[in-house]
Order: sequence, then structure tokens, then C-alpha cells
Amino acid sequence: MKNLTLVVMLLCYSFASSSGDSTIHTNNWAVLVCTSRFWFNYRHMANTLSLYRTVKRLGIPDERIILMLADDMACNSRNQYPAQVFNNENHQINLYGDNVEVDYRGYEVTVENFLRVLTGRHENAVPRSKRLLSDEGSHILLYMTGHGGDEFLKFQDAEELQSHDLADAVKQMKEKRRFKELLIMVDTCQAATLFNQLQSPGVLAIGSSLKGENSYSHHLDSDIGVSVVDRFTYYTLAFFERLNIYDNASLNSLFRSYDPRQLMSTAYYRTDLYQPHLSEVPVTNFFGSVMETIHTDSAYHAFSSRISNSKIKSDTPFNQPFNQLSEQDVKEDLQNTNNQNDELKTEKQKCPYSEMRADLHEKLKKIENVDTMVNLSIAVMILVVMVSSSLL
Amino acid sequence: MEETSDHPNPTTDTPGTTPEPDLKTMRSSKPGLKRLLITTTVLFSFLSGLPFLWKSVEIYRSQLPFHDIDSLSDQVKSAPLRFPCTFHAVFVGFGSNDPDQLRSEIQDGVNQLTGESSQCGSCNVSISVTVQSPDELCSETFPSTCSYRCGVIKRDSFGRGLDDAVDESLDDVFSGCSGGIGKMYSVVVVNKENGDEVKAVVGKRRHAWIVGSGLEERFGEVVGRVSEVFVKVFMNGGREEGDSIRGEFMPVGSDGRLVLSFSLLNSNPRDWIYDWDFQRIDEALLAPVTKALAPIANISVESQVLYHTPKSSFSSWDEKLQSYIFRTSDLPFFVNSNEWHLDTSAGASGRSKILQFVVYIPSGKECPLHLQLPNEEISKTNGFISPMWGGVIVWNPRSCDKDSESPSTNTISPQDLEKIVEVFLGQFRQLFGFKSEATYTRELGSYKILPSERGFTKWELDVLSRKHTCFNLHSCATTLGSLSRLVQSLPRMIIKDEIGEQVKYSLKAAKLAQSNASLGGYSSSASSSREARSLAENAFFHPSIMSVSYFSYEHCFAVYSPFFLPVAGHVVLAALREWRRYKQEKAKYLTWLTRKQAA
Repeated sequence: MKNLTLVVMLLCYSFASSSGDSTIHTNNWAVLVCTSRFWFNYRHMANTLSLYRTVKRLGIPDERIILMLADDMACNSRNQYPAQVFNNENHQINLYGDNVEVDYRGYEVTVENFLRVLTGRHENAVPRSKRLLSDEGSHILLYMTGHGGDEFLKFQDAEELQSHDLADAVKQMKEKRRFKELLIMVDTCQAATLFNQLQSPGVLAIGSSLKGENSYSHHLDSDIGVSVVDRFTYYTLAFFERLNIYDNASLNSLFRSYDPRQLMSTAYYRTDLYQPHLSEVPVTNFFGSVMETIHTDSAYHAFSSRISNSKIKSDTPFNQPFNQLSEQDVKEDLQNTNNQNDELKTEKQKCPYSEMRADLHEKLKKIENVDTMVNLSIAVMILVVMVSSSLL
Repeated sequence: MEETSDHPNPTTDTPGTTPEPDLKTMRSSKPGLKRLLITTTVLFSFLSGLPFLWKSVEIYRSQLPFHDIDSLSDQVKSAPLRFPCTFHAVFVGFGSNDPDQLRSEIQDGVNQLTGESSQCGSCNVSISVTVQSPDELCSETFPSTCSYRCGVIKRDSFGRGLDDAVDESLDDVFSGCSGGIGKMYSVVVVNKENGDEVKAVVGKRRHAWIVGSGLEERFGEVVGRVSEVFVKVFMNGGREEGDSIRGEFMPVGSDGRLVLSFSLLNSNPRDWIYDWDFQRIDEALLAPVTKALAPIANISVESQVLYHTPKSSFSSWDEKLQSYIFRTSDLPFFVNSNEWHLDTSAGASGRSKILQFVVYIPSGKECPLHLQLPNEEISKTNGFISPMWGGVIVWNPRSCDKDSESPSTNTISPQDLEKIVEVFLGQFRQLFGFKSEATYTRELGSYKILPSERGFTKWELDVLSRKHTCFNLHSCATTLGSLSRLVQSLPRMIIKDEIGEQVKYSLKAAKLAQSNASLGGYSSSASSSREARSLAENAFFHPSIMSVSYFSYEHCFAVYSPFFLPVAGHVVLAALREWRRYKQEKAKYLTWLTRKQAA
């Protein structure tokens, strides 16, 4: 009997503590970061905006996307096509068309702000749209593109994000249960080194090239004058353009679609921290938004029973026994604030000064033409002043 | 710059008796201490100033009570919080039963249903039984916690009339009972004479009753139902999973606030435009709910009306039902996040939780729009929820014919609004883990649960308070534990005073919550645990804890060495040199003395 209780208690304890397995997937978030400035890094901006468009098309709303663009290409003075950003030389899709909401722009894209977004340590005044408000059931897609190297990623040409900083931030996110699963996609040179130091469970990472390899751009747009997209992102988009929100292609098919000869680098992914099998995980787990829904079986008939109750005096549904309820609440010993409010109200009624004020206020409300009364009183005041000054 | 003062002119020859002393190895005067003293004083002042320098570049770290944090984590993990509850059973019209035996039978039933494991939020039960015989004589278990006046419940006239009236009268009966510690839950079992079938109703406050005839024969079943009411309904709240506390049914933000955001969506305003008088329903219908949940979350309500908001899933025309149908498989794709700009809340701060409640009015092309369940039935509510997000209700206008010219502007009538609010209350309950319907069925029978105007009955609020206290304390302990581990792993990071104070207050609030829980104050423990959690989260998410901005030893060294190293080098070298010179001169003087004595 004792053994049984011990076993049951152990089971319950382990059940309570293994939260990662028992939480349900509630929502999807995307953090898309472009870290390069200057016109010749047009392709990094186009990469990020293409992924933004894909993720929105597959269902993630703007309120759950954090888009960080380090520079503005659409309104750059060198842009032949103002307010338009393309990722292909056929110019078929304008990535900057409508409904683009950039959360961090220009010089706000720094390593510190990026780490603040991930760990959630903002100043109090930072608005909700700039925060990563994920909970323990969220799946987060983190996409970073720019110039990188061995264990670092360059931000704004002035500072670097190192792989141990990223690993530290992810560790803190996991401790605070800010995600259920995290997919990191990096499209830079030597991208796979950036997630070398990760150790938190539930993280899946893919980089566009190994250590010592470069990631190349796909093609040059002679009209705009710069390369417009990187190879890794180009083939990722090619995969997603074939999908819509109802599809359930697996992550495995996405990862296997990268051909090293076409990419001119090896797309390396790391699954040792990720438990589910890649062939069973649909891409919409990260790239789209499929809500968990539960049907509401019935309404809660709180008011229809009230109407049939003989204690109700009036017929209109808004005359409620609210006063009766509050009287009973006063009897409860734990509704402290209620007591205080009631006591305050009764005190105010006892005080003659505030009674007078309340009466005056009511009388003033009843006067229809307030303007003439004000004018009249001003005239009376001027008269009094004149009389008193003449007396002096 | 050689010393010239103590070198006498080597060319002067004193015509004397003693031979000329060799100046390189001897000197005639004792060497002075002044030079040595000056240089060593300077060196000493440097050395004595070193501790002050060290103190001034020390990283300011407010002392966090690591030991207390660890003990709180251990307490929360090892000893799950249990609340004292009192169960009182009154048997009316039972002649031949002994209250103590009844109590032990009910205790067995309760133990069987709760199982051996004790999870957080469950009750430490104390049971008391009163038996009233048909001739109105009472016997009760000792010690009697409740002064139930014998004969107040009349066996024959009980249960007549509306259930609400019965509930009110029971409240009058038991209102004199203050109970022991914790709240008292009572079940009244009335054994009538003439034949009625068994009816079990759970009231809005903390009472339930089972009425029927011939109950004395089916005694075991009655005891089983009583224990079921106690455990499954009053203790667990009618929820199926009583085991782990799942965070996805606790939609309270980490600062203890919850924002309910109501949106009325006109999907095609060219067909018709609907408006609602939200102010009235907020004051009349939603305010009681908000007040009732005050210990659990600080709730605020906001509303908006949106236009041009089509949905993104598809619906099909069904000839038999004469309406457009969308299925439960379409539900995950219903919310059109591109066009529905729901999250425009101005009142929610960074860490509050927002729940979206959407009333969707379909366009003329899809009117009427009904939800078809997998078993081919049409949904009665036309609504669904998504946990931690909110709920959607599809409301069809009265008539689907539209005016050919201009779109008509209408206001939703108060009766329709009330129905919508009823569905919303059901969804709100679902988001908190309760069922939206008002019956509860188990193997032994079904129980009718009376709905309350406040959205939750008193015993459901008790269950919520208990579960939220557990969840908040657990979350507070893990947050503080992560904070202490983080702070200890970065020994050179600045910890501001504010963080230390918040940790201190959070620990105090957590202790208060635990003591309130043991005293039986459910809502007070819920509000103090909420405060503990919000303070712990404030401390953990304080913006100054950024690992990129702490000073490593290399940084410190690199900043201060250009100031102090060159000067320090010179001072130390000078002192050493003076010391060596002093020793040399002393040796010279000693040799001269010995020569003089020898001569």
C-alpha cells in the first residue's frame, strides 16, 4: 500500500513538473530580424520582408510578429522604384505593398534591443506591439539574416551578437517558459556556428551554411542594381509558395528540399535538442497559425433564470438584483474592498458639506442655459468691482 | 642626477696623519633617513589608498535572500498547499441512522474519490453530519460545528417551488453557521414520503440538495452521491482534470490584470451595419462578473465596433437546413488575422493578458451562417473559444433580406444582446476551465447546477481561488528561483535596490498567501498570491538585468591600469632604489667606522 502511494505520488510529481510535454500549443509567434544597413545589403531586407509576407499569408497576425529592419530600402533615395521592394527580378511581388508593420526600424535594431525582445526585459513604457508576449504554449520562429561569421552575427556594422549571448538568451527564455518550441533560421555566412552553444531543450535550428562556407545571393537585378535575394531564402520561399494554410507539409520535407549544389553551401540543421520527429511536425506549427479551438456547447443561462425568479420586480432585463447581491456581499468577511467602498459611500452621505455640493451640482445640471448665467455672473462681478473701487 | 652633496672634492688632500678614506667604499658621516622616508611615505600612501579604490569600483549588488527563495521553492514543491474545508451533511427524514457511522461512511467515500495523492488546491476535509428523524428529532456528530436549528427543514414541504427559491431558503437556514476554519459546504438529503424520483441540485452558494423518496433503502447510493457532490463538485468544481494545474486555463496576466476586449465585427457594411449599446450591458451584466472575480484578477473591459472584416474560412450552402454551414474543421481558420485588427488595446500594459471576444455578423452572401458539429447537429450557440486567446460568436441578423439601396443601420436589441452575453459567459467559463453548461453528469446520476448572475457560483469561485493560489505560488517560486540562479551565475552584474525590495515583498506576500490558505481564507490567499507572482515577475523582468551590460574583470583592469600603472611603477621603483642606496651608504659608513677603530 505504501509503495503504491509512493508510486502514485512520484507520478503526480513528475506529471506536474514535466510541463513541456503537457502544455498545449496555443499560438505561433515570429521574430524576423534583418541586421544590415546600406543599399548594397538590399537582399537582406528583401529576405526578411519575403518571410514576413509568407508568415502573414499563412495566418500569423501582425500582433504576433516582431519585424526588425535595420534600414529602409523602400524609401531609400537610391531606389528606382520608390516604396517598392522586390525579391525577384521579374518584379512580380511588391513586398512592401500594404499592411506592413515594422516594429523596430533603423537604429533601433541593436543587439541590446534584440536580446530585450527575446528575454522580455523592456522598460515599462515600451508598447505591447514591440514586445514578445509569448506564453508557455507558444511556438516561436526566429529568423535572422545579415552578415555573419564564426560564432557571431553583425548588427548595423557596429556591433555583434555572439553565439553565447544568443544561447544565454534562449536559456533564460526557457527558464521563464516563454516558448514551447523554437525554430531558429539563420541566413548568413557560416550560419551554423551561431547556434553552436545552444543547450536548451525544445529548440530546432537551421543555418544556411557550415563553418568556413559562405552563403551566396541568388541573382542580381540589373534594374535595381543590387542582388535582391539570398539563395537559402529563395529556396525557402519557393517551398512555401506552393503551400496554403490548409496544407500539412512536414518540416522534414522543407529541410530536405535544400540542395547543396543549388545553394552553393550546405544547409545544416540541428535536431539534438528537439524531441518530435521532423517528419511528423507540420510546417504550419511554426510558419502558420492554426488555432486550437473548442466548441462552446451551451450558453450560461444566468439571466433567463433570473427573469423567471419571482423576486424580480421589473420586466426590463437590465433592472437587476445587483443591489441585493451587494448587500449579501457585505456579509462576507473577505470582500474587503467592497466593505470599504460601502463604508465610504455611507460616510459621504453623512457629511453635510458634500451633501451641499451634491445638491448644488444637481441644480447646476438642471439649468439649461448655462452660458447666459455665466455671462450674467461676470456682469455682476464687474459691477461689484466698480462699486467697491469707487468706494475706496 | 648623481648625488653631489656628500662627495667631497676628491682633489683636496687633507695634510693629516690618517690616510685619505676611499670614497667609493667609505663615508665619514652617517647616511640620512630623509630620502628614504620621503619615498616610502609616498609608497605607503599609495598602498593605503588601495582598499578605498577597491571599494569604490565594487559592483553594487543588492543582497537577495537566496536562502529564503530556496526554502520557498522547496516548500511549494514538496508540500502542496491544502485548504481547510468543512463538509456538512444533513439527512432529513431518516429514522434509523447513526450520525457517526454516517460520517465514517462519507469519509470513506470521500477518500476513495480523492485518491491517495494530494495535489495542490485540494481540501483538508472535516466532515460533520446531522440526522433529522421524521418526528423532527435531531442527532449530530460531535463536535458540532454548525448550529442547525432542528426542524427548520420540513420534510414534506421541501423542494417545492422553483429551485432558486429553494436555494434562497437554504441560504437562510445555513447562514447562521459560521463553520470552523474555511468555508462550509453543505448537502441536504431529504427523504420524502410520497414518490418523487431522485433529483439532485447544486445551488448558487455553497449548498446542494438531493430530494427523493425511498432514499433510506438505497442508502449506499445516497452516501455515494453525497461524497460525489463533496469531492467532484465542491472540491474540484466539476472539472474533469483535477490533477495538474494547466496554465492554458489560467488567463490572468503576470501583473494580475486581465483585459476583456469585445469587438463587434460587421463583415460587410454594405449589406447591413449593426451597432450595440455596450455601455448598458457593461454596467448591468458584466460588472457583477468583474466584481466577483476581483480576488483572482483585476479585470477591465473595453469594446470596439469594426467594419469590413470578412472571415478567412469558407462556408457552403446546405439545402436541407436552408442556411450556410461551416464546420468544426474550419474553426482554426476562421479568425482572419490580416483583416481583423483586434489588438488595438490602449488600456493594457505590457504584462496584462487580453482576451478577445468577437461577435461576428456575416455578410449578405453568407446569411444565415450556422456551425455544424461533427455529429451533424447544428450548434446551439454558434460560438467557439481558443484557449488563452478568447472566443468568437457568430450572430445572424433577424432577417437575411437586405434593402436594395442603402445599408440599414441597426442596433442589436437588448434581448438579443442578453442572449449574446449568456453565450459569452459560457465562453468565459470555458476559458477558465469550467463547463459552459449547467448540468454535471457522473456514473451515479446527474446534478443540475444553478447558474448565477455573476457568471460563477460561490463554490466555483472558491475552486478558482484555490487553483489560482496554487498556480500563482508555483509560478512565483519558479520565477524567484530562476532569478536567484541567474544572479548567482553572473557575479559581476549590478543588482539594483529595487529588485531586492521587490523580491523581499514577493516573499512576504507568498508567506501571507500560505498562512491565509491554512486559515481558510480562499480569496485573500488568492489576492496575496497574485501579488506575490506579480512582484516576482517585476523583479525578474527588471530592464537592468541585461547580460551585455555588466563589468567583467578585464574591463575593470583595462579602464584603471592606464591611470595607476605608470605612476605606481615609478613610485615603487623609487622606493626600492632609495632603499638599496641607503643600505649601500650604511655599509660604507660601517667600513669607515671599522677602519677608524682599527687605526
